[in-house]
Amino acid sequence: MKITVCIKQVPDVNAPIQIKDGQLIQDSNRKILNAYDASAVEAALVLQEDHGIDQVEVVLIGPEKAKETIRKALAMGADKGIHIITEEENSFDSFAYAQLLAGFFKDREYDYIFCGKQSQDTDSGLTGSMLAEFLGLPYTTNAVGLEMADGDLTAKRQGDSGQEIIELPSPGVVTCSNDMNDPRIPSLKGIMQSKRKPVDTISVTDLGVDLSEESTKTIINSYEEKPERKAGEKFEGEPEEIARKVAQLLDTEANVI
Amino acid sequence: MDEKFDCIIVGAGVAGLAAAMTLARNNMKFLLIERGEFAGAKNVSGGVLWGNDLAKLVPEYWKEDAGWDRFINHRRLSFMDEESCFTVDFKSSHFNEPPYSGVVVLRSKFDRWLADKVQETIDESDFAMESFIATNILVEEILMEDDKAVGIRTGDEKFYADSVIIAEGVNNLLTRQVGLQDDYVPADHMLTGIKEIIQFDQKKLEDRFQLSGKSGLSNEFVGFASDGVEGGGFLYTNRETISLGLVLGVKDLREKEKKPHDILNKFKTHPVIKDIIKDGEVVEYSAHVVSSGDKQVMPKKLYKDGLLICGEAANLLMNAGKAIQGMDYAMRSGILAAETIVDSKEKNDFSEHSLQEYEKALNDSYVMKDINNFQDAVHLLHDPVMTQKMPNLICDFGRNFFTIKNQPTKKARTILNESVKKHASYWDLIKVGIKGGKAL
Amino acid sequence: MSTLLTYISVSDGKVKRSSLEVLSRCNQLAEENGLQSDALIIDPKANEVAVKVKAYGPSTIYTVEDPIFKNHLNTPLLKAMATALDQINPNVLAFASTESSKDILGALAANRDAAALADVSEFDLTNTGVKAKRPVMAAKIISSVESTSYPTILTVRSGSYDLIEKSVDSEVKEIAFSFDESDLKITLKEIIGATGDKIDLSEAETVVAAGRGAKDEEGQKLVEELASLLNGAIGASRALTEAGVYDPSLQIGQTGKVVSPQLYIAVGISGAIQHVAGMANSKVIVAINKDPDAPIFDIADYGMVGDLYEVLPPFIEELKKIVNS
Ligand SMILES: Cc1cc2nc3c(=O)[nH]c(=O)nc-3n(C[C@H](O)[C@H](O)[C@H](O)COP(=O)(O)OP(=O)(O)OC[C@H]3O[C@@H](n4cnc5c(N)ncnc54)[C@H](O)[C@@H]3O)c2cc1C
Ligand SMILES: Cc1cc2nc3c(=O)[nH]c(=O)nc-3n(C[C@H](O)[C@H](O)[C@H](O)COP(=O)(O)OP(=O)(O)OC[C@H]3O[C@@H](n4cnc5c(N)ncnc54)[C@H](O)[C@@H]3O)c2cc1C
Ligand SMILES: Nc1ncnc2c1ncn2[C@@H]1O[C@H](COP(=O)(O)O)[C@@H](O)[C@H]1O
Repeated sequence: MKITVCIKQVPDVNAPIQIKDGQLIQDSNRKILNAYDASAVEAALVLQEDHGIDQVEVVLIGPEKAKETIRKALAMGADKGIHIITEEENSFDSFAYAQLLAGFFKDREYDYIFCGKQSQDTDSGLTGSMLAEFLGLPYTTNAVGLEMADGDLTAKRQGDSGQEIIELPSPGVVTCSNDMNDPRIPSLKGIMQSKRKPVDTISVTDLGVDLSEESTKTIINSYEEKPERKAGEKFEGEPEEIARKVAQLLDTEANVI
Repeated sequence: MDEKFDCIIVGAGVAGLAAAMTLARNNMKFLLIERGEFAGAKNVSGGVLWGNDLAKLVPEYWKEDAGWDRFINHRRLSFMDEESCFTVDFKSSHFNEPPYSGVVVLRSKFDRWLADKVQETIDESDFAMESFIATNILVEEILMEDDKAVGIRTGDEKFYADSVIIAEGVNNLLTRQVGLQDDYVPADHMLTGIKEIIQFDQKKLEDRFQLSGKSGLSNEFVGFASDGVEGGGFLYTNRETISLGLVLGVKDLREKEKKPHDILNKFKTHPVIKDIIKDGEVVEYSAHVVSSGDKQVMPKKLYKDGLLICGEAANLLMNAGKAIQGMDYAMRSGILAAETIVDSKEKNDFSEHSLQEYEKALNDSYVMKDINNFQDAVHLLHDPVMTQKMPNLICDFGRNFFTIKNQPTKKARTILNESVKKHASYWDLIKVGIKGGKAL
Repeated sequence: MSTLLTYISVSDGKVKRSSLEVLSRCNQLAEENGLQSDALIIDPKANEVAVKVKAYGPSTIYTVEDPIFKNHLNTPLLKAMATALDQINPNVLAFASTESSKDILGALAANRDAAALADVSEFDLTNTGVKAKRPVMAAKIISSVESTSYPTILTVRSGSYDLIEKSVDSEVKEIAFSFDESDLKITLKEIIGATGDKIDLSEAETVVAAGRGAKDEEGQKLVEELASLLNGAIGASRALTEAGVYDPSLQIGQTGKVVSPQLYIAVGISGAIQHVAGMANSKVIVAINKDPDAPIFDIADYGMVGDLYEVLPPFIEELKKIVNS
């Protein structure tokens, strides 16, 4: 049995961001493994440990430099990496990534494909279910728990009001929430071993996916600062005193009581 | 997998990276461990990397756009009082050609870049698959056997090596753990550095500071800047931002009950600084401890069986008024430490006896020469006369000297006399004069 | 005439306010651009629900009725969507952002070869598609995005638009649909932790959110007391949903729900960007935290620095006086 996890390198949202002339200036040094994908890798590794899955591999579409993110997943414990290399300046939307991934998976063997529930930077949450549709696979999104019995997965997905327990036959696609687990931090041994693990590289053109005009269906025109929310008043002092003041202000000034 | 390394380096700051680069060049099998998410992640500071050791480490680094921000060809030293600023200003095209004698770097960017360079060098070395840079790993212990360093421990993993280089920076817990530094370092030997990164439109930045191409300015401030606390201010021009900050004595801050951030805010309201930072937007704020560079708090020695200490972990730093120097010392000491390891490997002798060559090399280098020669300057800088009276006096003189009142103009000497009377005694000045003469 | 179609989310027979907000916006756009605004309801009792939607004035309300839609399951929902879209052929299909709509948005877009824009906070039409604003980078900044082709499918954050009633005599058209259980590729075994008839967090006027600072029973008791006094919903930070103190469906933030109530009270929450991503659009924010430097104070209108165990009891007392008078 094999689980392939789709992982993405994303800018660290905790790093300072600047916007200049509507463009995002990102510190190219502060790129990380998408937190949701880290949870997906963790989930796959836990299943591997508990159910003797033969292989956990990761696939990433991104520029040369994103390789370090593959290494990170390998250092966590994944067995193998596949790097689909893009040009630095390429910017794809989820639709295009999903098509590329579908092109990749078309002739490959896998039992389950795991994705992150969303990208931490764009919060789109589209790629996983798009990929499932392109491959004609059943899927479930926003998984917060996974269990395996007789080679089939049961996912707990967070729905609007409760958790839905869903049986997902293989082959299938799961998108993982970071609420599922706490991804392990690679140990030094893991980091050292990761260097010797295989990483195949494939160029986008090798996939034979036609990325013509239509395949990127959405474009980002510009970025802007969020209208700043100013800090209001901060009350310090005796609890009774500040409680009384704020309660009154909520009533008379804010009119929300 | 459990094979032994030639060397394990703890800390991927300037010192650790310089050591790693040197080891990689010399085909050594080593492990460089950094606790930050990536090299530079924990290094909020930035500043001027003085001297040209960088060119030794990465030849012709200036041909690359990455890593460094600007080269310094313009230096200013300003004395301030509440309303004035008297500046000694030196700019020279002499500094325009590489190798530069000072480059401004932002550490998170610079360290990361240097780490990439080290990785490239590892990839070309004989140990491409056996040498590693490992980040996000905290070294918790130096493993000692019979008072000899044999490796490190992180969590429950242990790794062994013939030698260990500690390059952990100012917060030198491991240096203390192996007994080379007293556990208690008095606060009077500690400074706290705080800094804001202020962003400008690049064109505006270049116009305001008269920068052309990648030239840059460094400016130190004495007096009002530190609001009566020992220390001073600094300003460096980065590529698109400036770093503006203060270095302040921890003990003095505590005694005067002042907060660094308040002092920085006050500094920014000074009329001259206000003009300098107008229309800029603060995009980052950070604070960090630095050692004062007082020799008294240097580790007893910098070596032990199987162990070397370099960079700020060894308290190699100097803050003698005209600049803070630490990164260049860190770099040189890292190189020297690694060279000593390479030699020891050749001799197959990692004993104290063999490793003490490092301290000798360091003593012969400009690093220890500077530190020894400028000790008095370090003390002078912490003299209240220097941080308060002197700047007031100089500004007072400047104000009177440059004022034209349509009255009989006084001679400069008379003005100076009056300023001295107002702000200091001649005795103070003589003291400082003597100290200063000796120190510099 | 080209159509803007709004999908009406229904849970337990109740129409989600957020989808009526989206419908209101689509009505407005249709009017401005001379288009038609229709609605789509997919529910076991879709025709009954349709009556409630009439007040918001779509031209046609399409219904798909089948017992299979009692609980959310993506396979039948996608099939019903495809059937409906074949018939209606809208330029734009808009949903309220919910876990259910997000579950199918990507697959539906892939299936229809459509552009997809998730979680927008504002949208408008262009000649060839939809332009929209989306909060990105954990809602630290806003991106202006555009789809370049029709059909475009989008989901809209709750609270982005006001409800506008409109009296039009909507026509209800039922779409024939059948679903063979054997087509179910996935099986729903069970639903756990359903919040039942508690106040819906994403639509509540008042939200009291508990963080790690309120991790013990006493803290939760105070939070509950405050919420029930103000007739508000309880939410939580990840610290507490992860610890199992509150149901995960109550998590507010990047991974959880986005809320925009009139009043949001953060109790013992530090204000990490991932949490703030889900509540920064609240009208009035009150924060109680013992750390005066907690980032939550940077966005709070009223910050109370203090121990919540000491501040909440008198605060509740004071509020009681106001509420009761
Ligand atoms: C505000 C300020 C301004 C300054 N300006 C200048 C200037 O203009 N010019 C100049 O030359 N110097 C300047 N300095 C001083 C300079 O920053 C230091 O001297 C220099 O960084 C020392 O380098 P280092 O490599 O020894 O230590 P560091 O740069 O501190 O690197 C140590 C590294 O070790 C890592 N580490 C520590 N412990 C462990 C562990 N147990 N396990 C794993 N990793 C560990 C740390 O994360 C860190 O990355 C300034 C300092 C400050 C605070
Ligand atoms: C990809 C990703 C997605 C995430 N999504 C979410 C999300 O959707 N929602 C979310 O909430 N988080 C999310 N997080 C986690 C988030 O980063 C924070 O870790 C989390 O919000 C912290 O919760 P907290 O504020 O309750 O806890 P803490 O950060 O631990 O803060 C507790 C606060 O309580 C205060 N306090 C303690 N005791 C008292 C007392 N007695 N009285 C008053 N105050 C007290 C403390 O001063 C502190 O400020 C996400 C993280 C990642 C990486
Ligand atoms: N470039 C990529 N390479 C590999 N997987 C990707 C890539 N982009 C998106 N994904 C997967 O899709 C998820 C995010 O989808 P989205 O939010 O639509 O960007 C991620 O968590 C990954 O699992």
